[in-house]
Amino acid sequence: MAYSLAPTLKPADFSKYAWYEIPLHYLWDYFSHGWICLLFAFVAAGLVYEFMPKQIINKYMGSSKVTGYAIGAGLAPFFTVCSCTMVPLFTGILYTGAGIGPAITFLLMAPAANILTILITGEFISWEIAGVRIIASLATAVLAGVIISKTPWGSAIEKEHQISQKPGAVHRTIEIVKPPLDERLISALKFGGYLAKQILPYFLVGLVIVGYVTAYTPPRIVEGYLTGITGVLIASVIGGPLYTPTLVEVVLGRSLLQLGMAKAALLSWLMGQPYDIPNMIAVSRIVRWKVVAIYAFIAWVCSVSFGLLYGISTGSI
Amino acid sequence: MKNVKAEVMGPEPPCWRCLAVKKAVEKVAEKLKTEGIIVQLERMNIASKEVVRKYGVLFSPALAINYAVKTMGRIPTEEEVEKLIRSAE
Repeated sequence: MAYSLAPTLKPADFSKYAWYEIPLHYLWDYFSHGWICLLFAFVAAGLVYEFMPKQIINKYMGSSKVTGYAIGAGLAPFFTVCSCTMVPLFTGILYTGAGIGPAITFLLMAPAANILTILITGEFISWEIAGVRIIASLATAVLAGVIISKTPWGSAIEKEHQISQKPGAVHRTIEIVKPPLDERLISALKFGGYLAKQILPYFLVGLVIVGYVTAYTPPRIVEGYLTGITGVLIASVIGGPLYTPTLVEVVLGRSLLQLGMAKAALLSWLMGQPYDIPNMIAVSRIVRWKVVAIYAFIAWVCSVSFGLLYGISTGSI
Repeated sequence: MKNVKAEVMGPEPPCWRCLAVKKAVEKVAEKLKTEGIIVQLERMNIASKEVVRKYGVLFSPALAINYAVKTMGRIPTEEEVEKLIRSAE
């Protein structure tokens, strides 16, 4: 068999290990096969973050609604590999002329379409799922943004937060200094390393837990509850309360898939993942719970609908 | 004698990257004090209306020297900060 870039252990392989050996074998399996992917993903995330033209967002945000949505959905997620950029961008988009719609679009799109998640999902699960997830998340994010901007609560928050911009009163001075290329490359790698340092500890702990879940969950239960329409519904709901740190949802999804979860349920599961809890708290402080509840509801409805749609159209429900 | 205003903008509570920029500016400020350049350092919340009104949507961490944003989304080195402050008008 050719060298695999994805881990190779099957759930059935675990039966020959004692309980204390499980995490060791599981971690070894992930890192002996997955290290190239992980390394590549972190380097790519660092490079993209460094070399994407960040001034675009400053220049065009707020020029029109359509541009707002386009930037919120299409461009911004590539920058949000680091959670500390997400809330500032969300509030920034809300405060400028773009308003609440694009801000919500951005918020929903960011966790689904960041470079790290795409690469890891594609390599560890399948590129098909990674692609479908992006498209489904894009539709969900734009839909939720448009709907919320039309609700009275949404527009109330928009009015409250919009900065009155008298023409001529704003003269922003942005004179970004670009360091030479070699320095930029180094800083891109440094940022990749920083991301790895932030994410990998949680990822390791997550892997140990997922190792046990994989070893001790009877496939019978997964096949019984995580397939069909019930499977989609259950998968979309457990994604929420079962908060998993970045990338762990991909590993857990992969395990459940091996244990017999339907691909339709897997899509709903991935789409039902909430965002960083600290981020959510910060966001709910700004937009209040009514808006949070609406967008959570829209996101849930969409995760179920896309799960079913994907399952029916590919016959893998 | 020269006064330079340096604004470091990041999220609240501060993240590690924002503090790294602040530290770089502090070190440079300490060094330039002996040459008569006074650096006034201020940390600002990047997600506040004040900052968005002044500069628009920024990437954290951002550094503005004399009210012009010079870097964003990265941590400038001390030498770079020093150069920026020296060349500030």
